[in-house]
Parts: sequence; C-alpha cells; structure tokens
Amino acid sequence: METLLQQIINGLSLGSVYALIAVGYSLVYSILLFSNFAHGGFLVIGGYVCYFFLGGYFLSNFFEGGVGTNIWVAAAAALVGAGLSAVIVEKLAYKPIRERTPVTLYMLIASMGMNIVIENIFVVTIGGRYRALPSVIPMKPVSVLGVATTSQFDLLALATAVVFLVGLQIFLSRTKWGLAIRAASYNLRTAGLMGVNVNRLISLVFFVAGMLAAIGGIFLSARYTLYPQLGAITTKAFVAAVIGGLGSLPGAVAGSLILGLAEMLATGFVSSQFRDLIVFVLLIVTLIVRPAGLFGKSVGEKV
Amino acid sequence: MQNAASAGAEAPILSVRNLSVNYGAIRALKGASLDVYRGEIVAVIGANGAGKSTMMNAIMGDIARAGGEILLGGAPLPARSYQVVGAGVSLAPEGRRVFAPLTVRENLEIGAFPLSDRSEIEEQMQRVFNLFPRLEERRSQYAGTLSGGEQQMLAIGRALMAKPKVLLLDEPSLGLAPIIISEIFKELALINRTLGMTILIVEQNARKALLLSNRAYVLQTGNITMEGASGDLLNNPEIEEAYLGGRKK
Repeated sequence: METLLQQIINGLSLGSVYALIAVGYSLVYSILLFSNFAHGGFLVIGGYVCYFFLGGYFLSNFFEGGVGTNIWVAAAAALVGAGLSAVIVEKLAYKPIRERTPVTLYMLIASMGMNIVIENIFVVTIGGRYRALPSVIPMKPVSVLGVATTSQFDLLALATAVVFLVGLQIFLSRTKWGLAIRAASYNLRTAGLMGVNVNRLISLVFFVAGMLAAIGGIFLSARYTLYPQLGAITTKAFVAAVIGGLGSLPGAVAGSLILGLAEMLATGFVSSQFRDLIVFVLLIVTLIVRPAGLFGKSVGEKV
Repeated sequence: MQNAASAGAEAPILSVRNLSVNYGAIRALKGASLDVYRGEIVAVIGANGAGKSTMMNAIMGDIARAGGEILLGGAPLPARSYQVVGAGVSLAPEGRRVFAPLTVRENLEIGAFPLSDRSEIEEQMQRVFNLFPRLEERRSQYAGTLSGGEQQMLAIGRALMAKPKVLLLDEPSLGLAPIIISEIFKELALINRTLGMTILIVEQNARKALLLSNRAYVLQTGNITMEGASGDLLNNPEIEEAYLGGRKK
C-alpha cells in the first residue's frame, strides 16, 4: 500500500515532466505535421544554460571568480535560451523546406539532423562529460499523509509542470494568438487567409515548445546528470505523445501520465529493469488497438 | 442595378492587371485583367479548371504570382496573405474551410485577427449576427457540427469580420442544395446593399452569379475572353450555350 501510493506520486511527477516535453512534440506536430526530433536538443540547451548561469560561468569575465545567479534567473535564462534556439532551428532547418515542398517527411529528416548537430556542438565545445547541477532544487524526503514518502524534488517537478501546463492551456484558450494557434492546428493555410502571420505563428509555437522542453531539461538534469545526449530521454516523451495521439495536447498529457505511472509502478512492483520494456509494450499495444492514439483524430500517415 | 464603371471618374478599388500564375509547367492564369469598382458586385464565371480559384488565391497571396500586378485603391496589394487581409481584402474560400473544432464565435473572432480594438470586434460580430441570425443561435456550437449552408454563412461572416474593403467569394454555391443557394445569394445582395460591400465572386453557377452581379468576366483556360454588364451576358447566346445550359437553339 505504501509502495503503491509512493510510486503513484513518483509516477505522476515523472509523467508531468514527460508531459512538458510531450506537449512540445504535439504542439509542433499539430501545426507542421511532423515530429520534431530536435526537441531533445532544446531540452539539452535549456539544461546547459541553467547549469552555466548557476555556476556563474557567463559572468566570470566581469566579476572576480564569477558570480552564480540564483535558480530563478538561471531558469528564466534557460527557458528563453531554449525557446530562442528552437526558433532559430526552425528558421535554419525547417522554414526553407516547408516553403518549397508540402512533404513533411523532409522536415522530419532535417530534425534528426539538427538533433545530431546540437548534441555535437556541446560535445565539441564543452565536452561530453557528465555534469551535476549545483544542488539548487531541494531533494529532502517528504512524508505524504503519513503513509508514504516522496521527495521535495518530485513534488516540485509536479507542481511546476502543472503550473506551466495550465498556463499553456490559458494562453491557448484565452488569447488572440492562442486562438490563432488552435485555428492553425486545424488548417495552417486557412489561418493565413484570416490575416495571421503564419511565420510568426510558427516561431511562437517553437518558442513555447522550446521553453517547455527547457523546464524538462532542468528537472531531468537535476534528477540524473547533464550531458549532451540527455535529449535522448525525449524518446519516452515522444512515445507518450504518440500514445495520447500526436497533435492532441490533452492526449500528450494523458499519455505522459500513463507512461510515468507505468514506469514507476513497474519499478516498484517488478523491477526497474522492466521500465523501458513496459514503455514500449504500451506503445505497441496502443498502436495495434488504437493507431491514432487515445485522443488522436486522423488515422492517416504520420511522420 | 447601377453600373459603377460607367460613373467614369472614379478609379477601380481593386484592379488586377495581367495576372499570371504557373503551377510548375502549367500556366493556370495567362495574364488576366479585371477591375472592380466601389460598391459593385463583379462575377467571374467559367468552367472547372478555367483558373477562377487560382485567381482568388493569387489575389490573397496564398499562391505565388508569376507576373502582373494587383492594385487596391491604386496602391500595390502586398504579396503575403496576412498583409492582404490587413490591407482590406478578405476571402470566403472554396469549400468554406471553416475551423471545425472551433466554435462559431471563435471562427468569427479569428476572422477579425487584423483588428485589435475589442469593441470594434464585438460591433462587427453583432453586424454579422444581424445578417445571419442563424449564426447567433449557434454561436457556441462547433463549426464542424453546422450544416453546409450554415458553414457557408459562417465562412462569409468570418471574411466580413476583418472589415474588408473588398470581399472575395470563391464558389459559395459549391455542394449546397438549390434552396440554400438562393438563400445565400439573397444574403449576398443584402450585404452589398446594406453594408455597401464591394464583392468579387467566382462561380460555376453562372446564372446565379450573373443575376447577382452588376458586371461579369468570363474566364476560359487562364484568359479573360469576355466581359460586360451581367444583364447583357445573361442574354448573350454564346454564354447561354456554354454556361447556362443553352435552352433553345
């Protein structure tokens, strides 16, 4: 019973971090109809920006010994940094393609390339070693209702993800650009005919996706460590987005929570070695039973 | 039916000059020209594949022009869609293309995207609701659940939301029952009369389009082959033969 409750909380926490990443995959997919595999790169960029701000490495030229910023400044910088890099990646790699051809498969391939590029920029410039984030996120154990123990970290991750997901939902449902994004996710060209600057809208979507990935990056690099290939973890979030139905935001969140719970319950009751097995079994079962995903609409070809 | 063109002095509000569009090696429009004057309804009729929709999409900046120019009120019309709408030209596209997962209200709101004044948007929405009371009844309903006729009303209302100087309509009769078509066309005449809206309409249903419009152009495989007052074209034996079903011979 104790283990169950504990693993449910841990699962929700892990799932909520997946959700931040999965929502980014789904947002981009809903507008441009391709899976942006450079998404993991944005996560890594967010992680490194946060790491370097915390360590004060950016300011060491100006201040003796360097002055580390606090986690709020570092996190804000990470969000903006990853958001801007996502916009730049779109302009560099995807825009030239989407302006020439309606075939989205080429963007998918370009995104795989950009993922390798981002990873290796880090390997070449600052090296591939594992780095631990300074301990700015509290990790102390917390007792939940007196029956289970979890960590402050897990609760914080869960709360942060909820805040950002609710914020995203409010942005999409209450603002003018949010409405434009929802319209564009149904039909991008028609949204353009309504007077929406489509290129600006796409940049905005990438910025938001990059920001959300950065939050995931900060929490994941604090939970594990930071290294250039950390972005590979987004595979799980991608699987979650597919289970939920690519292009659907509620689907991405639902899929992520299911995946997080499944992973943690498998860890708690079977063995942690079964985590990944469970993830892919869930994916395969979903694709057989409901190819469009839980909340998916079209069963057409997805790339 | 007054003919604004014969008023003489006034310059056309929308002027398409030598517009050409290519799809790869296929020349869809080969230098088509037409003028629309303030307050007029101008129709472009032609068979399937004559280039009617191509012309609309090229005006809207949705497809690239290969040559020619488009003037709005004497100034060149920008090339990108969002700038075209901002400049004052809106399109109710072929096949309606309403945003099915958005509500009627949201569809109208997105139509007003270039406007930023909240009260101006509300005012315009009320105007659209007055024209199409059916849309007001269904304001909270998803656009995908509307009937074809209602979706067409929504597409027209959505285009009106941006307060255009010229309203473009691409095949508003497509896929609708005759009685609904009559209703839509009655509404278009009303929009023209009460709002003073200038309308450029392309239609396969030539008879309806000629009855509605003041002047008309005939588009044939990418060229304008005939133009004139709609009443004259309606009685032209050639037009009758080719586009109106040629009753008697």
